[in-house]
Amino acid sequence: MPFMKGRAPIRRTLQYLQSSNLVLKDRVKIFTVNYNVYGNHHRGAKDFVFWHLAQLQYNNPAVQVATFKNLTPTPFIRVFFENGEEALVDLDSRPRQEIVEHIKKVFCKTDTKLAEERLERESKDNPANFGWGCDRQCICEVPGQVPCPAVVPLPRVMRGKYKFGQAVE
Amino acid sequence: MATSAHRGAVLIGQCIAHNTRNAAKVRVKRLIFDSNINMYFPKHKNYYAHDPDRECKTGDIVVIRELPERMSKVVTHSLVKLVYKFGDVTDPITGKKVVVGQYREHMDERDEMFGVAEDGSGGFKYSEAPDRGWQQDKRDFTHKVGYQKWHEFEPGHRFHNDPVAS
Repeated sequence: MPFMKGRAPIRRTLQYLQSSNLVLKDRVKIFTVNYNVYGNHHRGAKDFVFWHLAQLQYNNPAVQVATFKNLTPTPFIRVFFENGEEALVDLDSRPRQEIVEHIKKVFCKTDTKLAEERLERESKDNPANFGWGCDRQCICEVPGQVPCPAVVPLPRVMRGKYKFGQAVE
Repeated sequence: MATSAHRGAVLIGQCIAHNTRNAAKVRVKRLIFDSNINMYFPKHKNYYAHDPDRECKTGDIVVIRELPERMSKVVTHSLVKLVYKFGDVTDPITGKKVVVGQYREHMDERDEMFGVAEDGSGGFKYSEAPDRGWQQDKRDFTHKVGYQKWHEFEPGHRFHNDPVAS
């Protein structure tokens, strides 16, 4: 772990951030958590924010994730959708794992949907492509095509200076 | 990095003091990833939101939506709803008025049970207090943008004892 400082620096590893499957649905635009820093009934919400909020933001870069501390006596999650509607989740005295499961069930894409999307993304990358960003940089690397003229000189039939005659008189 | 990348994007933020009229200046905090430490840090952006009724005051938490096209040179968003009023928060789960960690009705019951000090230090009476804004320009200057005071003006000068100078 680089910079192993602070409480639970494992939260600051890419492996940890990518390990969560909390990908919010496209409708969700703002995800806010209200909790207090004191009080036993806020402990679940506080732990959820401590462990899972960074993961949530990492998986959903377009969603605005915000926390409001010490505003109300009970903790809750308030989610705002695209059309202005909102949804509330009461977190009073609920343990962290239960909160994660609830959020996953209500607001997140299911595991099957995530697998489908991943498959779609992979199939878009045609393995036959070559060029920048692909495995092969040039068509000369493709077996069965003309080899690289830097390695093997092209036959005169394919060279422009012989095909179109002597250029400079 | 575009925060409101497309038209109609909704954001939540806190109202801050501003010098423009007929608009609300909203400070929106987004978490930006630092790839060196793999940590999120809050970074704020200010937006001007169209608020014709002037219902949001400094400190209120509001939800704003990006307008399909810019309304004026600075106003790009419009107010959707006022989520938490500053100093007058309503708990959305129960619908009751709260003050940080307690319900106002519990505070009233406690005052009734134990009594309130006669000299007035017993506490603020929320039920009898008028809405926020009645002391604006008299004792409440949070709507004005403050500035650093570098010079003491003589009494009689218009900036002598200016309340927004710090």
